Amino acid sequence: MYHTSRHPLTDATPIDRLLDRLLSDSGQSGLLGPLGAHRMGHGDDDHEHAGDAEADILAQFAEQADDLHERVVHDHGIFVAEFLGATGSGKTRLIERLIERAPDDEEIGVIVGDVAGEDDATRFRELGVSVANVNTGKECHLDPSLVEGALEDLDLDALDTLYIENVGNMVCPADFPLGAQARVLVVSATEGDDVVRKHPLLFQACDGAVINKVDIAEAVNADLDLMESDVSEIAPEMPTFRTSAEHGDGLDDLVDFLDERGHVHASDHEAYVAGTGHTHAHEHTHADGQTHEHDHSHEDGHDHAHTHD
Amino acid sequence: MHEFSIATQVLDAAREAAADHGAATFEGITVSVGEASHVNPDQLETCLEAAADSTITDGDLTIDIETEPAYAECACGWSGEPGEIDRALAYAPNLTCPECDARLELQAGNECRLMSVTLPETDDGSDPDAADSPDANTTD
Repeated sequence: MYHTSRHPLTDATPIDRLLDRLLSDSGQSGLLGPLGAHRMGHGDDDHEHAGDAEADILAQFAEQADDLHERVVHDHGIFVAEFLGATGSGKTRLIERLIERAPDDEEIGVIVGDVAGEDDATRFRELGVSVANVNTGKECHLDPSLVEGALEDLDLDALDTLYIENVGNMVCPADFPLGAQARVLVVSATEGDDVVRKHPLLFQACDGAVINKVDIAEAVNADLDLMESDVSEIAPEMPTFRTSAEHGDGLDDLVDFLDERGHVHASDHEAYVAGTGHTHAHEHTHADGQTHEHDHSHEDGHDHAHTHD
Repeated sequence: MHEFSIATQVLDAAREAAADHGAATFEGITVSVGEASHVNPDQLETCLEAAADSTITDGDLTIDIETEPAYAECACGWSGEPGEIDRALAYAPNLTCPECDARLELQAGNECRLMSVTLPETDDGSDPDAADSPDANTTD
């Protein structure tokens, strides 16, 4: 037997409401006040929550993501891009194309999240990159601790680039950042041209959008302009890229965007942190080997196999 | 379905808060869910009920779920609750500043907070150091 109630908050700030309740409500016993300095299971001193009056559960996941970011991006100098979107939107094919056009000396790792199976992991292994397969079982998204576990399978000292393919899902990943410099949401024309409007919050949580399968948009009667204008309405200033990953078309701008996110980030860490939506009070010192450079020559678009294992 | 892992974390946080105040169990929790988060209040409630077994309370657990509207501040000085995007088929805050058209970043409304924990009454009927505890008053 449970008692529940639901009511929207008033205009009063949380602390005012809690104080009101503490001062006025004699019916409840032992009501703990705002859980101000309360910190849960996390020894990270980088995060100041003095301004928060309560314990933010989602912020714990964001903090874990920051730790991941610190370790992978800054300690190991790896560029990390996360791709998310529905099952069948073309995330795997898109990452395959990015791998194919990378220069020979770029060491790439991929973390593949799927509820079950090795299908995507096998495809990436065939391209010669390092792969960590994560079967989430019942979870519908990757979370920072699952990524942390997957890193065990990768040689972080060797990698230049890490692609993370999230579980096919347009809802849950929004609340679980993974510490990537670029979060790219992949939708496809075949999902219907209202797919953007149906998942606004996920778009708002990402850095870039790919509209994939544009080559068959006409066949499925999808209005690509509408999809693109929905993106800019829902997530202003978010870049959108039209691709046909199957045919390798439209990838140049996406690659430039990813490069830019990596390079801008090296000098503007605060921009990343601001994007994670919570304060972050520490300084970075980039020691030797922590800056990463990509010598891509994307103009030629040549295909080649990676030989590293 | 990520509400279950969130529910587990909420209960852990509540258990820890109760322990900080010398209580082994708690009788009620208040959770605030941001409207712009992807946490579904109904599902969270169900998951909290499912996850709150007898190790937490041998009686009823009172679950109080509030929703927190989106709130944004713009560099131009505007602040407030952003409007909703009409054409979106689900709730979405309009992230364009109504004053200057710049993109808004949300300051609130995308979180899930444990707001308060209700502890059992102690034997002598007094509150176990409840609201005047040293860590209970960090405010801004």
